[in-house]
Amino acid sequence: MKTCNLMKTGIAALIFAGSGAFSATAQEALADADAVCANPVEAKGFKTCADIAKAEAEGEIVFYATDVESGTVKVLADFQKLYPKIKTSYVRLQAGALYARLLAERQGQSYLADIFQIGDVGLVMDFQKRGGYARYLSPEMAAYKAEYKSSPEGYWTWAVLMPAGLAYNPQITPEDQAPKDWNDLLDPKWSGVVSMKSANSGMQHVTWYQIKEHVSQDYWDKFAELKPRAFDSMVQQFDRLVNGEDKVAMTAQYAAYLEYRAKGAPVAFIAPSSGLPSGPEVVGIVKEAPHANAARLFLDWYLSTEGQKSSVAHWYFHSPREDVAPPEGALPISEMKLLFPADWQAYAATRPDFLRQMRSMSGLQ
Amino acid sequence: MALQSIDAAAGPRRRGLGLTSQGIITAVILLVCGFLVLYPLFFLFAESLNVGDPQVFPPQRVGIGNYVDMLFDWRIIGNTLKVALFSTGIAVTIGFVLAWVLTRTDIPGRAVLERLMEVPFYVTPLVGALSWSILAAPQSGFLNQAWAYFGGSNRIIDVYTPMGVAWVMALFEGSVAFVMISAAMKSMDPALEEGARVMGASKLRTMITVTLPLVAPGVLGAAIFVFAEMLGSFAAALVLGIPGHFYVITTAIWELTLSYPPDYGRASALGISLFLIMFATLAFYRWLVRKGAYSTISGKAFRPRRMQMGRWTWVLAGFCWLYVFVAVVMPLGALVLTSFQRFATVLMHQAQFTTQNYWTAFSLASVRDAIVNSLMLGFGTATIGVFVMVLLVWIIYRSRMPGAGIVEYMVMFPQAVPRMVFGLAILWAWLNMPVSLYGSLWLLGIGYFTVLLPLGVRTLAGVVLQVDKSLEECARVCGASWTHQLRTITLPLLKPGILAAWLLLFIASVRELGVSIYLMGPNSKVIAPAIVSSWSSAGTELTAAMAVIQTLTIFIAVMLMFWVTARLSKQGNES
Repeated sequence: MKTCNLMKTGIAALIFAGSGAFSATAQEALADADAVCANPVEAKGFKTCADIAKAEAEGEIVFYATDVESGTVKVLADFQKLYPKIKTSYVRLQAGALYARLLAERQGQSYLADIFQIGDVGLVMDFQKRGGYARYLSPEMAAYKAEYKSSPEGYWTWAVLMPAGLAYNPQITPEDQAPKDWNDLLDPKWSGVVSMKSANSGMQHVTWYQIKEHVSQDYWDKFAELKPRAFDSMVQQFDRLVNGEDKVAMTAQYAAYLEYRAKGAPVAFIAPSSGLPSGPEVVGIVKEAPHANAARLFLDWYLSTEGQKSSVAHWYFHSPREDVAPPEGALPISEMKLLFPADWQAYAATRPDFLRQMRSMSGLQ
Repeated sequence: MALQSIDAAAGPRRRGLGLTSQGIITAVILLVCGFLVLYPLFFLFAESLNVGDPQVFPPQRVGIGNYVDMLFDWRIIGNTLKVALFSTGIAVTIGFVLAWVLTRTDIPGRAVLERLMEVPFYVTPLVGALSWSILAAPQSGFLNQAWAYFGGSNRIIDVYTPMGVAWVMALFEGSVAFVMISAAMKSMDPALEEGARVMGASKLRTMITVTLPLVAPGVLGAAIFVFAEMLGSFAAALVLGIPGHFYVITTAIWELTLSYPPDYGRASALGISLFLIMFATLAFYRWLVRKGAYSTISGKAFRPRRMQMGRWTWVLAGFCWLYVFVAVVMPLGALVLTSFQRFATVLMHQAQFTTQNYWTAFSLASVRDAIVNSLMLGFGTATIGVFVMVLLVWIIYRSRMPGAGIVEYMVMFPQAVPRMVFGLAILWAWLNMPVSLYGSLWLLGIGYFTVLLPLGVRTLAGVVLQVDKSLEECARVCGASWTHQLRTITLPLLKPGILAAWLLLFIASVRELGVSIYLMGPNSKVIAPAIVSSWSSAGTELTAAMAVIQTLTIFIAVMLMFWVTARLSKQGNES
């Protein structure tokens, strides 16, 4: 009898656990919007063309992103404070992993993602070519430069600017011994104690591509001889700097430096004299978003001054919006020498070479 | 005569009804289990032959190119074999010594030590790997720092090496070796050992010349089983191997499937190769067991007599406590310390302490959801799993159904497939199903049930086979239907064993990583992959707090279950 009761409770537990799966059935996708709506509504500190009542009825947004989780949770919580009826959830993976997963889900016609934010413009262009983005002209997009938006406008927008340089622990490495530019990293004294981002990182791809103009052709081959360790996220890189496991971090994101400095960790940032390789995080609505109205509402908020302030505060990133201040204590973008790829198509075309070299360096090939 | 005629009249009618319900339930269970096990493997095999666009299914071009390409992966396959051999060697050596000390000697505190030996199983390999990365990192690990503090030069240990990976795997995935070897030792007739002692052999000589040969088949069986487990191990290789440029097959599959463009074909071919190695290893293990290699274990009643170890008592007890210290106290201590830090550091002069990580962990809806989801899945999978698995065990071992042996092989199949390979296979299989379960807890439940089938069936088989057939036959002779007989005879007799199997399945579900990592969706987060995710993007200190929470959750659940079991047993005895 007790076994039967246990069985009943177990079935009830599974039914309860699985019930969410069936409540979140895909809504009918909204038609692409070719123009900003005639009368955007002034919502809670931002303008929107989304149907707020329908968004609240949908009751959820799912955010696919590459950013560090602790920041993502806080950004989503800021949105949910404004719209408590809209629950937020997220999937966090590094860029290549996230994109592979999104495409696998779409191949199986499982549409879970509403908003897709990724830090690799090559993958963004690929997704647009595959018809993955829904077109929605947010009234807030007017505040963004034309080069920060898709062509035609409305598919995706740069939401974050990410400069990267070098970082070290000043308690372990004196300032005068720290590298000043990319070529200094080839000093054999950094052998076995230098880290970088993994092949899945869009930022690593930008660094790999962008510094080629400032270093010799065989730079990456020589760098490989130092046996650099590759990590999935900037958090792992900075943890190892703090602990002294690594002495220098390449592709050290300025945002991570700011976050660790705010925690009181002993880290220092170096802006290489040749410049800081930089990439954006790009945001857009997924074509078959199951919560399309809520996704539009979120995008409007996220691109607004308030949304961008939230992003700056919790991820320590710089905003592409000029009316949003940089993170506390950070240099403004205007005072940095940023190195963006001039031709994103050419950059994207180098992905196979980049992967081959990175996998070889990390021991996978 | 009159009684016989009543039986003859009632028997066929009732048996007919019983056969019908038995037949239907048997057919349904076999179909469902067969589907759950074989359908994903079909996808895995098909993908391994896909030499066209890896993101198109069914494949547009098929060939053996991915298998040929594996020749270039010889280093990864070699790494896998090397680390599996090392870890098996360490696990079996430690397991043998511990088992011998705790079953054949009279050291004090045996009961407590035996309980403590189970703790690494609750701690999980992932948590073990995280804590050993704090303890034994080459520059900053506690052990190396302590060594330097006491004047040592250079480092004494580096966990980011193949040996480091093997060590952590042996500590946290090899506890099964201790369980298996001690079971063999407990079943061993001590008469031969006593004979050797009477003839004047020393204790050490008795152990080497009598005990060891007697339990050698059991040790060999454990070694083969542990080796197969180590081949499919993932967590330690992920946390400790990748930073050291050291890939094994499971971590290579992880990298190949979670990158763009994904190389599903190569990953599947690697998965199939691992499956074949594990299948061959486990087939050898089964052959060894079935060959009757345990014939030294007699059915004769005996009372195990323990050797008095004299002055060696404290050395042996010290070895056991050292194991507990290394596998439980040190890793958990390092984790707890890190979980209270503002930023993770083992350099104490720069450490700042806070309780914020626990507040953050509990304040994150995703972490709370992950804990609740894991508990619900553990409860649901264990409860439904135990029920279905009891029926399966009955079908395999008691029903005399033709082809029961094939069913047994099918059910044991997932054991030969590394968890994460199976997770990948389930992902593809269910992404391509018309029923959309992807991203839900249902799919995780199905995944857990499938990969835990061998564990549950193996555990329950031992229990079912202990129940004398004559009791069931008696019920049938008296005209009870099959379902009535199961409900009134078989299940009540099996209750203690069922509860033990339930607990095992519950723990295995809560700590599951390989399958969950592929099947977890935005609204179906579970704790083990959430810890991996946190480790890779949220910082060591928050990850440590989550790992402590997971370990405590398992401990509390286990304690609760022990309490419930004790109460039920007490009630059973009273009634």
